[in-house]
Amino acid sequence: MRIGKAFTATIATVVGVALLAAGCGGGDGEEAADGKVTLTIKTFGQFGYEDLIKTYESSHPGIQVKQENIAKLADYTPKLQQWLTAGSGAGDVVALEEGILIKLMGKPDQFVNLLDQGAGELKGNFLDWKWQQALTPDGKKLVGLGTDIGAQGMCYRTDLFAKAGLPTDRAKVGALWPTWDGYLATGKKFVAAGTDASFFDTAGGVYQNILMQQGDQTYFDRSNKLIADSNPGVRAAWDQSVAMIGAGLSGKLQMWSPAWNAGFKKGTFATIPCPAWMLGIIKDQAGPENAGKWDVARVPGEGAVRGGSFLAVPAQSKHPKEAAELAKFLTSPAGQIGAFKAKNNFPSAPKAIDDPAVSGAVDTYFNNAPVGKIFGQSAKTLKPVYLGPDNQVVGDGIGDALTAVEQGKLQPDQAWTKAMNDAKRAVDK
Amino acid sequence: MRRRTRGNSLVYLTLLVSLVLSVFPLYWLFVVATRSNDVVGQIPPPLVPGGNLGENVSRLFAAPEAHFARGMVNSMLASVAVTVSVVFFSSLAGFAFAKLRFRGRNALLLAVLATMMVPVQMGIVPLYMVMVKLGWQNQLQAVIVPFLVSAFGVFLMRQYAERAVPDELIEAARLDGCSTFGLFVRVVAPALRPGAAVLGLFTFMSTWNEFLWPLAILEADNPTVQFSLSQLATQYYTDYTLMFSGTLIATVPLLLVFILFGRQIIGGIMDGAVRA
Amino acid sequence: MLFALFGLFPLIYTAWVSLRAWDLTGDAGFVGLRNYSRLAGDPDFWNAMVNTLGLFVLSTVPQLCFALVIAGLLNRPIRALMMFRLGVLAPIVTSVAAVAIVFGQLYGRDTGLVNGAIGLAGIGPIDWQASKTSSWIAVASMVNWRWTGYNALIYLAAIQAIPRDLYEAAQIDGAGAIRQFRSITVPLIRPALIFTVVMSAIGGMQLFTEPLLFGQGDVSGGSLRQFQTIAMYMFEQSFQNFDYGYGSAIAWAIFLLTVVVGVANALIARRWKGGTQ
Repeated sequence: MRIGKAFTATIATVVGVALLAAGCGGGDGEEAADGKVTLTIKTFGQFGYEDLIKTYESSHPGIQVKQENIAKLADYTPKLQQWLTAGSGAGDVVALEEGILIKLMGKPDQFVNLLDQGAGELKGNFLDWKWQQALTPDGKKLVGLGTDIGAQGMCYRTDLFAKAGLPTDRAKVGALWPTWDGYLATGKKFVAAGTDASFFDTAGGVYQNILMQQGDQTYFDRSNKLIADSNPGVRAAWDQSVAMIGAGLSGKLQMWSPAWNAGFKKGTFATIPCPAWMLGIIKDQAGPENAGKWDVARVPGEGAVRGGSFLAVPAQSKHPKEAAELAKFLTSPAGQIGAFKAKNNFPSAPKAIDDPAVSGAVDTYFNNAPVGKIFGQSAKTLKPVYLGPDNQVVGDGIGDALTAVEQGKLQPDQAWTKAMNDAKRAVDK
Repeated sequence: MRRRTRGNSLVYLTLLVSLVLSVFPLYWLFVVATRSNDVVGQIPPPLVPGGNLGENVSRLFAAPEAHFARGMVNSMLASVAVTVSVVFFSSLAGFAFAKLRFRGRNALLLAVLATMMVPVQMGIVPLYMVMVKLGWQNQLQAVIVPFLVSAFGVFLMRQYAERAVPDELIEAARLDGCSTFGLFVRVVAPALRPGAAVLGLFTFMSTWNEFLWPLAILEADNPTVQFSLSQLATQYYTDYTLMFSGTLIATVPLLLVFILFGRQIIGGIMDGAVRA
Repeated sequence: MLFALFGLFPLIYTAWVSLRAWDLTGDAGFVGLRNYSRLAGDPDFWNAMVNTLGLFVLSTVPQLCFALVIAGLLNRPIRALMMFRLGVLAPIVTSVAAVAIVFGQLYGRDTGLVNGAIGLAGIGPIDWQASKTSSWIAVASMVNWRWTGYNALIYLAAIQAIPRDLYEAAQIDGAGAIRQFRSITVPLIRPALIFTVVMSAIGGMQLFTEPLLFGQGDVSGGSLRQFQTIAMYMFEQSFQNFDYGYGSAIAWAIFLLTVVVGVANALIARRWKGGTQ
């Protein structure tokens, strides 16, 4: 009896505290009393949408937009998965990073077909390959609209280049490597000069760049059959990367590790393929005292992009029509220019790329490099590449195999065989 | 006599080494919080605090994406509620498992233990679905209610009660006509104090440091403190001074709680001091 | 009630999911035990299993031994006790971000402090992440560092419950401090020992944070999965490859493994104690 009483009292107290504390939680996705539609948009990292949303709200009086942002993609991905699995919580517009979008292309039913929402006429707004990425292979369903892209340049240290007797002017540096063979040859010269620095940070980034320039498919064909071991382009990219490791060009640094971060300041490596978003990292890591030591040249080969994102409307949204309109607005050339101005997210709309605000952008930290022009060039020359839903699993396996070669744990041939076996295993579950 | 001194200095030496090893990262965190961002990655690491703490802290509270003050308040409420409840229920249940005979005791204990054996990461999706049913998404009670009882706590208190509460004591109290609950309050609870203090400390800490579940169920505008801290680092770049200032402030409540509960454990030690 | 809702439900739900082909976009139907048979033939799973067990041995044994010694020392009348107690608990209040960076600097390949130290002894620099042995040592050192104080405190609380007169009697019999510790303290805190052994089995089988920090957030645990634990593999399959059904099967494998290891440990602890009594 007495147990019962005390028990109930305690529960009541504890739950009371909890409810009291929780009085301040916010509900989402509900219609406000004044008949306004509230749209929730889920993003990660920095999309730079704050001002754009204000603009949108003032031109659409019936709409209120709530942005919920998670700082890191690694934290956002499990959340996204849980929303989709539980059928609730994804809001009205979700940001999808390229790798995730590609995985989701295998099951497009979780998302509203944007072609049904009149997005078809916007095709010309986007770079062709960006549009294709979010379109099912049969061309009937459009899952997302492109936002930014990780258009790339090749960042290099002018002081290390000078020390090795190489040119430092970005046009002449770009002329050293019209192709990856030229890059390899330059690397060999650099290493021979004995500056104590390596030529690039890690072979993984280089491999990825070479691979994306090898024709219209990589690991999978358009029927999603694994062709990694028979596609000569994959093998060519692999051989090229292994040759660079063999020539001692790699600093064997893991991306994002403390040593990699410190390398920008200390000049541990002389070049690094740098997507637009990496310029900010280099600035932060290398610090103001190294201003002008880093510069940006063109990437070897034709066109290079790494990463980028899309906006999609989850099928669970209660306001698919309004959500699609918002997504269209944010991904329009004007929206992309706004995002570029806010957070330097490089646009995927040709019109935005050619806009003076983008194409005229120079970066003072990098010796006033015309980054807008360099990145725009590499984005526009890239040809569409079909990736397939399991692209990332296979790609990660090959990346790991390259690292094992760098670490001297596997011979290149062993590593290749292992990567191909892992790929087969990952694909046929 | 000489032997004793040597033995003692050995004790101090061992403890001192453990102390330095244990505390160094925390101290280093403090150093970074008081300096500017470029010290991270410096070799050797800087060991003297700088003068930027005030500036870093005000930047922290001003950071719009973190809602840091809100996170502190939320975590404080959640940790206190969970700790009070866990200590109470675990003491009661632990005592029952250790000292009372009832049918299915062992099976029930094993079931309690079993709930700890599925990795937390996999519990998140089903738990999230329960919360959706309850309509508790982005509500603070979602990070409190599921943790009001704890298998860890029950098990800890059961093991503790087994030795700490002598059977003779219980029998004596029974002869005095105590009910089971009266027995618990008057006899068992005082004997369990050091164990309960440790449990309270651990529970507060783990609730305070919980990250995966708050991240799953809450949104950035209504975070817990760890969630808030994670919002300070962007995808590609971490402002360590900012984050470490936040971490430093977030550690202070833990230290206070330690001193609070520490007294309970100390009580017994003082008796020991008299002995020697 | 609460247990049933928030404790057992995930357990049962996971079991149910593990029998289905379930990916990010939802249920693709019942597949019976196929996830489990795939598990049995999956070399990456067995590799993770070996890593988990290896790391468990390397981290649990020293951790609990050190904890016992530290608890014994902290139970003595010494100066500045509070400071020492607060100190040994510092690792678990230290944020994981700081832990990651500090240990990253310790075990760095090119400029790491550990490599600097062994370099003085004439041992060449080690790429700690590259081989199984070295990565295990590094990860185990992190686990030991973080959890020793925690266990010490549990022991310390248990020691408080030992009646003082036992020590007085022993002292009269002329037993020294070490003798007292071995024949009174250790046997009498047996329930606490069993508790820590079982809990570290549960924690060890789910080891996730430390190896993830060591690998700078890479869930595959090294280029050849040198230090990928089962919990990391589970996370990789469920949340990175979006294969939730397979991930749930791995979760159940962890459950079973925990039961086996936990029971084995509890038996060993019991027998070991029986020996000293």
